[in-house]
Amino acid sequence: MLTRTWRKFCSSRIGRSIFRVGLPGSDLERARVGVSSFLLHIQPVKVQSRSLKFRTTFGLGLILLYLFLILIVTGVLLMFYYVPSPELAYRSMKDLEFVVTAGMLLRNMHRWAAHLMVLGVVLHMCRVFYTGAYKPPREFNWVIGVVLFLLTLGLSFTGYLLPWDQLAFWAITVGANISSYAPFVGEKVRFVLLGGNVVGPSALLRFYVLHVVLLPAGMAFLVAIHLWRVRKDGGLARPAEPDLIEEEFAEFELPPEKTYGLMELARGSSAAVGTAQEDTVFSWPHLVFREILLLMLTVAGVLVLAIFWNAPLEEFANPAHPPNPAKAPWYFLGLQELVAHSAFWGGVVVPTLLLVALIMLPYIDTKPDGVGVWFSSQRKTAILIFSICLITMTVLTVIGSVFRGPNWDFTVPWHPNVEEH
Amino acid sequence: MQLMLGWWAAVFAISATVAASVRFMFPNVLYEPSLRMKAQRPDDYPDGATFFPEHRFFLMKNGKQFRAVSATCTHLGCTVNRIADGSGFRCPCHGSVFDASGAVTSGPAPKALAWYPVTLSRDERLVIDMTRQVSPEEQLVV
Ligand code: FES
Repeated sequence: MLTRTWRKFCSSRIGRSIFRVGLPGSDLERARVGVSSFLLHIQPVKVQSRSLKFRTTFGLGLILLYLFLILIVTGVLLMFYYVPSPELAYRSMKDLEFVVTAGMLLRNMHRWAAHLMVLGVVLHMCRVFYTGAYKPPREFNWVIGVVLFLLTLGLSFTGYLLPWDQLAFWAITVGANISSYAPFVGEKVRFVLLGGNVVGPSALLRFYVLHVVLLPAGMAFLVAIHLWRVRKDGGLARPAEPDLIEEEFAEFELPPEKTYGLMELARGSSAAVGTAQEDTVFSWPHLVFREILLLMLTVAGVLVLAIFWNAPLEEFANPAHPPNPAKAPWYFLGLQELVAHSAFWGGVVVPTLLLVALIMLPYIDTKPDGVGVWFSSQRKTAILIFSICLITMTVLTVIGSVFRGPNWDFTVPWHPNVEEH
Repeated sequence: MQLMLGWWAAVFAISATVAASVRFMFPNVLYEPSLRMKAQRPDDYPDGATFFPEHRFFLMKNGKQFRAVSATCTHLGCTVNRIADGSGFRCPCHGSVFDASGAVTSGPAPKALAWYPVTLSRDERLVIDMTRQVSPEEQLVV
C-alpha cells in the first residue's frame, strides 16, 4: 500500500523532478539510484557482502556518525534556551529541567549520547586496530581517526563546563590545571584556554564557543574526509583476494563493421583485471536497509537511556568548596589516577607518549599481514602491546571512577561516602 | 624575482594574520577578583584562621600578628580545607596534606602553599598582596 503510493508519487511529474529514479525495481535502477541521489551517492553502488556482516565492524563507525547527528540536533535545540554566563547558565539548566517541555529529555539525550560517543570512539579504534584496518593504504585515515578521537574528547570536555554546577566547575578546574604542567607553554595554554587565571565567566564563554562552533565544525569537516577516504581506499579493509584462476577464453573474431580507436592511456591495469569475481551486492537495498535499521536502534538506545536516567546536575558552582573527591570526567579518570601520583607524569608524559604512539602506529607497523581479520595470529606483538596499553588505561579509569572516595582514598563502591568539610 | 617577492608577501601576510589572531586570544584586561585585596581593620577578625572564599586564602591572626596563606592546592588547584585542630591543610581532590607552615607532608602536590605579604594601608586596613610570595615566618605586627 505504502509502496504503491510512493511509486505513484515518484512517477508523477513532481515526484520525478525530485527523485529522478524512484523506488528501484531492476538492477539498472538500483545502480542508477546510487549515483543520482545526493544522499545515496556517498556510498558505493555495490558493496562487499563481507562488509555488511555485523561482526566485521559491529556497526561502530556508523553508530558514531549517528550519535554525532543526535548530538548536533539536540545540541542546537538546547542552544535556544542556554545562556553562556555563570548565573544564567545554571538557571537555564534548571529551566530545562523544570519548565521547558521535553527540556530534560533533550538534555539527557545530549549527555548520554556524548558519553556513548566517547566510548564508541574507543571501541571503534579497537575494532580498527584488532582487524588491522589501519595498514596501507589506510594509514592516514587512522591518523584522521586519532584526531577525531581528540576532537571528541575536546567536545565532551568543553561541554562538561556548560551547566556551571559543582561537577562542571571542579572537573574543568582540575582538567585545565593538568595542562599547566606541560613544559614551557603550560601556563600560557591554561591562560588562553580559560581566558584568565581562574575558571570564570570568560572561561565559560570560551568553552561555549569551542563547544558549539569550532570543534563541531572541525569534527564535521574531518568526518567527511574520514568517510571519503574509506570509500577511496576501497571500502572496508579485507583480506587479500585469493589468486585468480586463469580462465580459458574462446577466440573470437572481431566483427569487421566495428571500428576501434585509442581513447585514453591509463596507468596500471583496469580495475577488473587480475582479480577474482567479487562477492558484492547492491547498496540499495542491502546497505541502505541496514543503515536505517542501525539509525533507528541508535536513536532508540539513546532515548531509553534519556528516559530512565537523568543527567546529573549538582548545586551551583562554588569556587571555595571543591566536592570531596573532585573528579574529572570519567574518560579522564585514568589520567587523573596517574595525576594523583605525579601530575607531570600523569598529566603530560603518559598522554603525550600514548598519543604519539597512536599516530605513529600505521607508519611503524606497515606489514600487510592480517588485514581484515580479527586478532590475526600474524600480528601477535602488535596486538599484545596494544592490549596491554588498553587494559592498563581501562583498569586505571575504573579505579579512578569507582574505587576512589573522599580525599582520593581507596574505597569500594558499595561503601557509603561521607562528605567531610 | 618578482614571483619570489610575491611568495614572501604571502608568507608575511599569513603569518602576521596568524600572530595577530593568537595574540587576540590573550585578554589584556581580566574581570577577575583583583590580586591585591583590601580587607577590614585588624580588629575585625577573630584569632585563628578566616577564610576568604572569593580570593581563596586564609588570613591567620595570632594576637597582634597577621599572615596570609593561599588555599589553592599546588597540585591541580582545588581549594584546601583547614584541618580542624589547626595542624595543617588537606586537599580533598587527590589527598595532598600540608602542615601548618604550608609545606607538603604527603600527597602529589609538588610545592608548598604560598604565603602572601600582609600590610597595613593608610586608613588602617589590612592589604593582602597575592602577586608576591613571602616566607611563612614573615608577618605583620600591628
Ligand atoms: S588538587 Fe590538591 S591534591 Fe590534587
